[in-house]
Amino acid sequence: MIAFEHVGKRYGGRFEALAHLSFRVARGEMVFLTGHSGAGKSSLLRLVMRLERPTRGRIVVAGHDIATLHSSQVPFYRRQIGVVFQDHQLLFDRSIFHNIALPLEIQGMEPRESARRVRAALDKVGLLHREKALPIELSGGEQQRVGIARAVVNKPALLLADEPTGNLDPQLSADIMALFEDFNRIGTTVMIASHDLALIARLRHRILRLRDGRLVGDEGAR
Amino acid sequence: MSASRTPQQPPRGARSQRARLGSRLRAWGRHHRAMALDSLNRLVRYPLGNVLTMLAIAIALVLPAALWLTLDSARLLDAELTESATLTVYLANDVNAAQAGRIHEAVSAQPAVDQTRFVSAEEGMAEFQQSLGLDDTLAGLDANPLPASIVIQPNDVDPAAMQTLAERLGEMAGVDEVRLDLAWIERLRHLADLGRRLALALGVLFGLGVLLVVGNTVRLSVESRRREIEVVMLIGATHAFVRRPFLYSGAWYGLGGGFLALALLSLGGQWLALPVAALAESYGAAFSLPSLDVTGSTILLSCSTLLGWLGAWLAVTRHLASIKPG
Repeated sequence: MIAFEHVGKRYGGRFEALAHLSFRVARGEMVFLTGHSGAGKSSLLRLVMRLERPTRGRIVVAGHDIATLHSSQVPFYRRQIGVVFQDHQLLFDRSIFHNIALPLEIQGMEPRESARRVRAALDKVGLLHREKALPIELSGGEQQRVGIARAVVNKPALLLADEPTGNLDPQLSADIMALFEDFNRIGTTVMIASHDLALIARLRHRILRLRDGRLVGDEGAR
Repeated sequence: MSASRTPQQPPRGARSQRARLGSRLRAWGRHHRAMALDSLNRLVRYPLGNVLTMLAIAIALVLPAALWLTLDSARLLDAELTESATLTVYLANDVNAAQAGRIHEAVSAQPAVDQTRFVSAEEGMAEFQQSLGLDDTLAGLDANPLPASIVIQPNDVDPAAMQTLAERLGEMAGVDEVRLDLAWIERLRHLADLGRRLALALGVLFGLGVLLVVGNTVRLSVESRRREIEVVMLIGATHAFVRRPFLYSGAWYGLGGGFLALALLSLGGQWLALPVAALAESYGAAFSLPSLDVTGSTILLSCSTLLGWLGAWLAVTRHLASIKPG
């Protein structure tokens, strides 16, 4: 699903965010990405989302060579990836329902089918009763669930999450991780960047460790 | 496009391809409709600022449009003048009625002459008195000082042709003088030509002004919705998708400005109508200010809408390049 081959990323010619990064993630796998802050977790995710191009090496995601992907194709590539952001990236001027419907609206899905899918996603994250609420009326944990619902509403093959439990208490964090495991169980490839070592150690999935932009550990690989 | 299809899906048949195209077109139309309404809603939500923007557009449009209308009326006047471009043949004082009749026939027989009207010395006097209102003074004259004359409408109102005709008529026996006054018609034409160019230059200049006004307004609204743009681009929105609502609001600004310009033009026309009519009457002419007809109004509205759209396009496109999601 994801293949990094000798990937390097420099910013401004000097600072090396990632270096000599090579790994593979199989379809249907669930992988944690960990390391101290500044180790390159976010840079790696940004490369997978094609928010940035690598300065060297090759990245292939779902059969697409990211570096050679034409910029006009990038939107269509991103539609195949669900992304959960640490700060949710919700739009505060519209309801939960419309926030989650956004990816489907962008794809031009017919409204009735879209509404059905939005409710299914809301049901999955346990917020079906809050569809008319505005994001501001929800708690941090609930907002994160809305972010997850938006990421999975178009049934992506790959789900990325950047510190999805960053601001949540341990119980809520465990709930959120359980949700990701549910999606992984139905075949979605999941990659989560997190520095909550205690939590991810309990979950027994593959862990990729980064330090100063290099891969220093790959544990629990199948 | 391979990237738009999820890789698990097998290749589909022609029929479902067509169905997909149909549904994509429907989705496209749906989004256009939604964005047209959404941008209109946003305009209505903040009426004051948006009306001010439209007013700025309207003022920029009114000036060239008004100048154009004035020129159009000048052209109407010019056509009327051309139609009334005549030569007047004054007969010598010693020509008697029978001779005058023969000269009239001879003049009428000229191939370059379209219509003629014979004005005897008495008729000429009567017209003169009427036009000047100097009954008493002229009544005091012993003899009629005016000669008989023939007013000619030539076939060809081209100045050179009229000049040739005048020379030929001047050589006829019994003709004292041929009068034709073309210089001021020429001058009027040159003036109109100058005015048309001026209107065009002003139109281009003020059109640019409209682009700037709309561009600036749209730039601000792009800036205020920057977060939203970043988010939708993160989850796979194309540039066209992001641009669409702004293009519609630009077009609405243009259309609204166009309507306001029409209103201003008609208000201005009404305000000036009375003195213009009075002035025209004092010259004994029936002249009224022209107003934009349906075609003219449609052209004005489509131009302003197009300018609004273009201004928005320029602003959004320039701005989108600077917005990087994430």
